[in-house]
Amino acid sequence: METNIKSKAFEELAGAAAGLMNPAIEAWKAAGRKVVGYFCSHVPVEVMTAAGVLPFRMRGTGSTGTELADASFSSINCSFPKHTFNQALRGEFDFLDGLICISSCDHVRRIYDNWKQQLSTPYLTVMSLPKKNGQAQVDWYYEEINILRAGLGEFLGVEITDDRLRDAIQQVNETRRLQRQMYELRKRDRPPISGAEALAVMVAGNSLPRERYNDLLRTLLADLENTPGRSGYRARLMIVGSELDDPEYLQVIEDQGGLVVTDSICFGTRTMWVDCSETEPDPVRALARYYIQERPACPRMNGAQPARAKFVQDMVKEFAVDGVVGERMLFCDFWCAEHYMNKADLKEAGIPFIQIDREYILSGKGQLQTRIQAFLETMGR
Amino acid sequence: MVVGGCDVGSTTGKAVILDGTSILSHFIIPSTTKPETTARLAMDEAVKGAGLSSLDDLAYVVGTGYGRLKVPFANENVSEITCHARGAHWMNPAVRTVVDIGGQDCKVISLDAKGKVVEFAMNDRCAAGTGRFFEAMARVLNCGLDGISSLENQGANPATISSQCSVFAESEVITLINEGIDVTNIIAGINGAVANRLFAMVRRVGLTQELVLTGGCSKNDGLAKALERRLGIAVTTLPQDPQLTGAVGAALIASEKKSSN
Amino acid sequence: MEAIDYNMGTAAHDLTTLERKDKALARYKKERDWFAFLLEAAEMMDTPEGKLQVKLLNILLDSKEKVISSVMNDTPFVAAYFCTAPEILNAMNLPWFMIMETPFLAASAPYLLDDLRGAEEMGLGTDLCSAIRLPMYYIESGLMPVPSAVVGLLSPCDGTTMLQQVLQHNPAWKNVPLFAPDPPYTSDERAIRYFANELRTMVSFLEEKTGRKMDMHRLREVCEESNRTYKLWQEYNELRRAVPCPHGWEIGGAQAFAVSQCFVAGDPRCTDWFEQLLECGEIKVKEGRGANEYCPEKIRILWFDIMPYGWVFEFMPWLEQEWGAILVMDMFSNFPYTLIDTSSEETMFHDLAKRNLMDVPMIRQARGTAENFSSDIARMVKDYKIDCVIWPGHMGHKDGAATAGIMRETCRGLGVPFLHIGLDLFDKRYTSVDEVKDKVSEFFRGMGLG
Repeated sequence: METNIKSKAFEELAGAAAGLMNPAIEAWKAAGRKVVGYFCSHVPVEVMTAAGVLPFRMRGTGSTGTELADASFSSINCSFPKHTFNQALRGEFDFLDGLICISSCDHVRRIYDNWKQQLSTPYLTVMSLPKKNGQAQVDWYYEEINILRAGLGEFLGVEITDDRLRDAIQQVNETRRLQRQMYELRKRDRPPISGAEALAVMVAGNSLPRERYNDLLRTLLADLENTPGRSGYRARLMIVGSELDDPEYLQVIEDQGGLVVTDSICFGTRTMWVDCSETEPDPVRALARYYIQERPACPRMNGAQPARAKFVQDMVKEFAVDGVVGERMLFCDFWCAEHYMNKADLKEAGIPFIQIDREYILSGKGQLQTRIQAFLETMGR
Repeated sequence: MVVGGCDVGSTTGKAVILDGTSILSHFIIPSTTKPETTARLAMDEAVKGAGLSSLDDLAYVVGTGYGRLKVPFANENVSEITCHARGAHWMNPAVRTVVDIGGQDCKVISLDAKGKVVEFAMNDRCAAGTGRFFEAMARVLNCGLDGISSLENQGANPATISSQCSVFAESEVITLINEGIDVTNIIAGINGAVANRLFAMVRRVGLTQELVLTGGCSKNDGLAKALERRLGIAVTTLPQDPQLTGAVGAALIASEKKSSN
Repeated sequence: MEAIDYNMGTAAHDLTTLERKDKALARYKKERDWFAFLLEAAEMMDTPEGKLQVKLLNILLDSKEKVISSVMNDTPFVAAYFCTAPEILNAMNLPWFMIMETPFLAASAPYLLDDLRGAEEMGLGTDLCSAIRLPMYYIESGLMPVPSAVVGLLSPCDGTTMLQQVLQHNPAWKNVPLFAPDPPYTSDERAIRYFANELRTMVSFLEEKTGRKMDMHRLREVCEESNRTYKLWQEYNELRRAVPCPHGWEIGGAQAFAVSQCFVAGDPRCTDWFEQLLECGEIKVKEGRGANEYCPEKIRILWFDIMPYGWVFEFMPWLEQEWGAILVMDMFSNFPYTLIDTSSEETMFHDLAKRNLMDVPMIRQARGTAENFSSDIARMVKDYKIDCVIWPGHMGHKDGAATAGIMRETCRGLGVPFLHIGLDLFDKRYTSVDEVKDKVSEFFRGMGLG
């Protein structure tokens, strides 16, 4: 990707985001270590980190079609699971030793059933994620996490002790802290890093061994201090939506002059704005509370819409955002209704908002350009 | 100060030359395969028509439309949404809703009293409700675009064409022809179906009078009538060629930009 | 085409409470009138089947009148669903209505297409299930009576979760207490216990918010009555195994589901209805008579979803007349009839949890992993000697759409032809009835059926 950032660390991070396999994963596997894929930001990566595996967040990056997946899915399914599953059927995920699925949404949850039928990944499981965030749900997820821990541990022949979990929570929190530091820089009038670049860094975070990633981040933060800030943009934008892992999408938006300074997306702030508790003595309880109640919520959580709306509006203030771009993939029910409510809430708050539908693989650049340009013009910028 | 606006669409290219508040000249040509060529041809003709010697006589040029990034002589480009809103509002300051039906897309724009865009909705994913759709229908009915547009061809009992997709709608129309349905009722049905689609977009954006039609398909009287019936209000006619609103808007913005520089 | 009256579309929160009540009731009453009209038509049918329709519509209308009376007299009533333990609502003497009632029961009503347009004009994506968009439209336009409490539905799909959230976001509904039992993704004892707990919490919630009390004796009565209903249903469904099948799409299929779960669960009138249904069926089987006396049975279909209520009268009779294709079984007419063990409070909650989480149709297939899609098809194909399986492919079933390949494989394994159509069960503009007929005809011809 085009960038002003002169940094080897950034190069490696952007490289990791641009494809599926990367040299660090190759080295990891060559050393006899394992990689476990997972869908959705509600899967507790801490458990995988505690088990000593590399948690790899599933994406369909590089997919050019869905011909293989089309036999399992239909034309009214989201393009994200279709492309991702297609990549799997083409063998692009043969490097995975295991896969953790979850009942995140109607489209992605069926990857489990189809994957089970058609592929032979050694370890395959599905987690049951609640649809609301009360105490009973925290308790349920507490059990789910323990079940995962036991199953994954058995598969690996490893005991995932409480101590290991506590260490993992600290490590993952370190990642979160470093990522938040990077976002802090975007509060500036002249951020040294664009939205597209930041997204590449976030996506890389789920595709590299954690220690290496944390090191790269620290180096990047230092390099960013020497990177000229971006100016000459027309407006500061916030992107709100779901499974957006393609920096090029934000690039198109930013090329129109809309600098993306923050977000609420699955690969963005929702994964790192809040830390998992390190003071709660029972690490599984800490994780259960974190994933169900404490982290920024996503539309699948009934009852959390006011909190989600507040999260967006707080972000707008903190980052001096001029306008919000709500993206959703076609056929996504969650975000269809969520943006319907976002539109009303943001209108009431006097914050410009535009909703844009998209497909998982970037297409129709001209249409995206026109809408963003019109949005900026409407804001008078 | 003489400025230019160039609206490069998928089907036609439009150029307007403005001097203060008067349109000196305008030109519309069918689009070529290259937007740069379309832009140049349209603007060259407009320059001639204005009695100018060359493009250099223009103080500022704004490009818009689908090919706006490829207008080599444009000083800047502005989205067609903003341009259509400005152009329509300039032609009639009472305009608050613009329904633009182009060759490949259609949009509804809501504007305020100053002609500033408040909200918009676009359909650029499929042919339904665009010039392409009408062209396809005209082919099937073998009646030409004039045939679909003319008021005397709008039957009193419009056939229902329920397909959301223009490809399926074509099959539906063929079936109707085979069933012997009166062609004027089919034509009225086609215009009705597009009116329904536009109506839904208008409702989403919000209907405030006055409402005008712009773009190539705005000259379809049958469509205008169907839309009026659907909306329950009269569609206002613009004093100038509604196909030029985008280019006019671009020229007006060119004026402002040059003045403020 | 005339312009629509937009007064119906005025945002709910612009009206006073009384105006809101009247408007919401006006709509609800309009729907009641639609059913009253159907009742009149049914009363003119002097057949055993006609009498069944009359009975069903009377139960339905009675439950609607109770809701109307609750609104007028400000007495408690709730909004709920067929799978959020309606047995409990009956036991607590709480009138209730289904938020998704219109698409599920009244989609053939004349105002439905206008309502769909209303939903589109709200700006919601047209790829969201029509059965979800319609209630959203009614709520946002003030066309739904606001109850004392809402029992929310988070199952089986993403759409229902969002419906609850849009409901809670609406100013007129914001302060209405809502409890939504959380559906676990698994289907084991642990899941049942968890859901049973959710139901207990639901009872406390309803007691607190409506003032009605749960009486365990009453719950036992309701469950026992429901058990009687279910036993009869199971017996009746055995009759449908007969060749020819005694009843088609019109009688005893989805109707039975509606009577058992959608109006009032565990009521003697339901049991009585099933007794009559069984009697009707038995006579026909004894006499070897098929579903449609004018159309001999040639093809036995499993329609794996609810009826296409938006256009059922234009399609189902045609299936029978054109192809002799009888709807022997559909997704909603068949599920495990496991009875509720009423020996203790604990067993009752356990079994109610199991029924509402794992047995009721659609929830059963779509809530968790895909096994039930396959196993239910396999079971029904064998039990009912099915000649072909049709997955209608409703535009709202996103998880089902991602299970199409699995269903196809299952049918291939069973040696039974499988058709995936792709349509909207409620909106005939999505895929026209003619298109559906063409696809089905092509399928039958291609597979050498009929």
